[in-house]
Amino acid sequence: MKRYALLALALIFLAIYLFPLYWMYLTALKPSSETFTYPPTFWPHHPEWNFAKVFVDKKMATYLSNSLLIAIGTTVIVALFGTGCAYALSRVRSVWMDIVLFLILMMQVLPSSLMATPIFVIFNQIGLIATPRTAVVLVQAAKVLPLYIVLTRTSFMQIPKELEEAARVDGASRFGAFMRIAVPLARNGILVTSVLIFLQSFGEYVYSRSLISEEALQTATVGLMNFMGPNTTDWNGIMTYAVIYVTPILFVFVLLQRKIVSGLTAGALK
Amino acid sequence: MRNMKRLLAGALALAGSTVLASAEEVTLNVWTIDREEDPGYMYVMAKEFQKLHPEVKFNIKHVEFADWANDITRAVATGTAPDVAYVDNPNTPFLSSKGALLDISPYIKDSKVVDPSKIFPGPLSTVTWDGKIYGLPRGSNTIALYYNKDMFKAAGLDPDKPPQTWDELYETAKKLTDPSKNVYGLAFSANANEEGTFQFLPWIQSAGGNFDKVNGPGAVKALELWQKIIDEKLASPDTLIRGQYDSFATFNAQNAAMAISGPWELPRMSKDAKFDVGIALLPVPELGAKRASALGEGNNVIFAKTKHPKEAYEYLEYMYSQMPRVWNEFGFVPSYPVEVKDPKWPAEYAVFVESMKYAAARGPSPDWAKISKAISTAIQQALTHQADAQTALNTAQTTIEGIVSK
Amino acid sequence: MSALFRGLRDGHGFDALLALLALVYLLTFSAFPLIYNIVMSFQEVDMFSMADLVRPFVGLANYKALFASPDFWPILRNTALFVLLSIVFQLAIGFGLALFMQQDFPGATYLRGLFLAAWIMPALVVGAVWKWIFAGDFGVLNYFLSQLGLVGSKVFWLSDPAISLYSVTIANIWLGIPFNMILLSVGLAGIPKDMYEAAALDGANALQRFWHMTLPMMRSTLGAVISLGIIFTLQQFDLFASLTQGGPANASNVAQYWSWQLSFQTYDIASGSAVSCLMLGFVIVVAVIYVRSTRHEHRA
Repeated sequence: MKRYALLALALIFLAIYLFPLYWMYLTALKPSSETFTYPPTFWPHHPEWNFAKVFVDKKMATYLSNSLLIAIGTTVIVALFGTGCAYALSRVRSVWMDIVLFLILMMQVLPSSLMATPIFVIFNQIGLIATPRTAVVLVQAAKVLPLYIVLTRTSFMQIPKELEEAARVDGASRFGAFMRIAVPLARNGILVTSVLIFLQSFGEYVYSRSLISEEALQTATVGLMNFMGPNTTDWNGIMTYAVIYVTPILFVFVLLQRKIVSGLTAGALK
Repeated sequence: MRNMKRLLAGALALAGSTVLASAEEVTLNVWTIDREEDPGYMYVMAKEFQKLHPEVKFNIKHVEFADWANDITRAVATGTAPDVAYVDNPNTPFLSSKGALLDISPYIKDSKVVDPSKIFPGPLSTVTWDGKIYGLPRGSNTIALYYNKDMFKAAGLDPDKPPQTWDELYETAKKLTDPSKNVYGLAFSANANEEGTFQFLPWIQSAGGNFDKVNGPGAVKALELWQKIIDEKLASPDTLIRGQYDSFATFNAQNAAMAISGPWELPRMSKDAKFDVGIALLPVPELGAKRASALGEGNNVIFAKTKHPKEAYEYLEYMYSQMPRVWNEFGFVPSYPVEVKDPKWPAEYAVFVESMKYAAARGPSPDWAKISKAISTAIQQALTHQADAQTALNTAQTTIEGIVSK
Repeated sequence: MSALFRGLRDGHGFDALLALLALVYLLTFSAFPLIYNIVMSFQEVDMFSMADLVRPFVGLANYKALFASPDFWPILRNTALFVLLSIVFQLAIGFGLALFMQQDFPGATYLRGLFLAAWIMPALVVGAVWKWIFAGDFGVLNYFLSQLGLVGSKVFWLSDPAISLYSVTIANIWLGIPFNMILLSVGLAGIPKDMYEAAALDGANALQRFWHMTLPMMRSTLGAVISLGIIFTLQQFDLFASLTQGGPANASNVAQYWSWQLSFQTYDIASGSAVSCLMLGFVIVVAVIYVRSTRHEHRA
């Protein structure tokens, strides 16, 4: 019985929390003229289904694949450079490592909107603007790398050193112990953080907007902004766009989340 | 064989015949805030121009209005500026004063199409810097008072007698306000950026001030009136954070009985507004006082570093020559007197064309952005009662004097 | 040579190599824009000299002008308030939800996943939706409050200078909750269950267990989440842009948005850079505190 009371409570929390999400779905289905009526309507009485039309008209397939490319590229780079660093920072305690950690935190202070202009200036000089999606992947990875390092570091912290030491006694190299003991044990943290990084990068806006000038290479968020513009009335269309953008990720994530969290609660560290 | 021909044509061109030189293919990079799907002005013009000049190709890039200044200055700084671009009129002096734009006066001197003396003084002043001309207006806009005739009748007001003075505006707004029906008397924009300044400047100008003289008694009176309108909730408090387009939406939805805005509202209004709309010139301080109105829209310019000044100028000239079409097709008010056959929304057109006579430029000043910020800051301070109108405008005046005298 | 290689593979060189790889990457792509900002804050810059390297040096003049600005102190206060309130509530709600979601009830894992929706929604859409929720005349929030009889007249969430900052803060807390919740969940899951069981056998009640076991075990996670939270909050830009634009009359303006306004609305890039450097100074303090806190971390 208590379990169902908890479930009810959880559903209430979720309902409050997800209200903005609900409003997005609702607006996607309402006719535009209903968007601003007061008192507001909470159910689409005459739903409009424009999904296919918006998807095709707004070239969402192109935009979404660009976003996907950038998100995957960023996540791969971040995992490659960040995992080892996070591991090292969790294993060694010295002034030098303190300085490294400090510098890493410093590197992600400014909002992208303030970083974009200097980056444009330098990338224009060295010619990276010619391959704009790569340019976005490189800077976006730099932007989220500190986040990844700090978070995965905490996962490595929770792994007892003794396990690695035992492996070393059995003849494994540092690298071997890192790959076969530390990384698998920290996989939950690595996975969760990578997913967060992926989501952040999928929604990247500022760098894409300022570094990518060719429309066919633009990302979904920039496509949305171009659609919105300053004087929009087509809220129905915009929210339809947003729904197409959000729903698959949400779906995949809810499924994936179960895997991650069930792995977590099973406890990798018994 | 074909190569041979092209070579020959090139040789001939070099030999001095400028007519044949047009065989050379040229690509113009163009930036605009229009959207391709609307169909935007720049896209339509480019297509038409290309029919007349098949050798000129276009590469048009859409830039969001909000990002425009950011992107264009960065492009100029890094040498990646386009050949031709749209520039919002108050921003034009900022670029021309820094030498970023091509002086087109020499071309205009030989032109059969462009006669600068015909251009309305407002738009002309925005393309002129130091006696030279740096662009051609593509069209203009200005603001006027829209009102809901049905609501006038319901409130016992004469729907053919819109308010003409500030006092009448206040009285009328008061009569039309009805909180029980969610109706405000007036909708306008006093937000913290350019739009707030754009809407307020004409009030200062018709009270004898201007952008460099904002703290005269007339300007103070105007700001106090705005204050009163907000304090008494004759307009929504959200006026402080809403742009003109969002404010006007409340007029269309009959949540406001009058609204101050421009011709860009007409397409949406004719679709959304289910009532009889009237339109009038902006009210003045008292009957017989000087009229003023805001000047919006912008200019087509050529960047100084272009490699194809001749083609770029021809394109500019073509666009300029299409002025008689801009009202019906793009919703701009013509920037020089033209005859518009069969104007859409004839009543509104008549008011906006008359309004154009009084429309004064914002500035012109290369530091317009800073001046504008000073004015919108004063508006916001007064409307939130952080300072009284006189003090707020005095502060703005000091700031502006510091900028102008520099 | 082979000794060096062995050191890299088997000794402390291995750790150093791993750490340096990431650091070099970061320095390559992030240090330049950062230093560029710092340099500009000491120079006279206009939009057209942005790409130049040599510009007139003006010493501390930009900073002096900034301190003299009447906007400076109110904006600083707003920034501090925004960061403080955001962090406190994000953490409290996020931690609460993480603990709650750890309970055993049907569908718990699916529901936890749904909380991440806020992270997935594009920032532009988040801004637009919250703007409708907060709208004074036709907003949903006012509708709910008046239906419940909680307010007599409409509240102008975004245009009342006494409230607007808090409204943006509420939206930001909403955005930050999933980040806090999911990471704290990961941390909680890392605490061995048998420790709790042992403590329960010893007679410790739930509060004692939370205080003496959960919190210390979570120290490293909490430190990371809080310091990253502060940095994220300082980067929050989109909400200000779409909800209030810092208004009315700067009542909801914060350093990061002000910096952008100075640079790109009034083209005063030098002042904008100076503001961002002050933010940098603040983050240095946060980073130092974080790095120091890691020294006392609990080691599993």
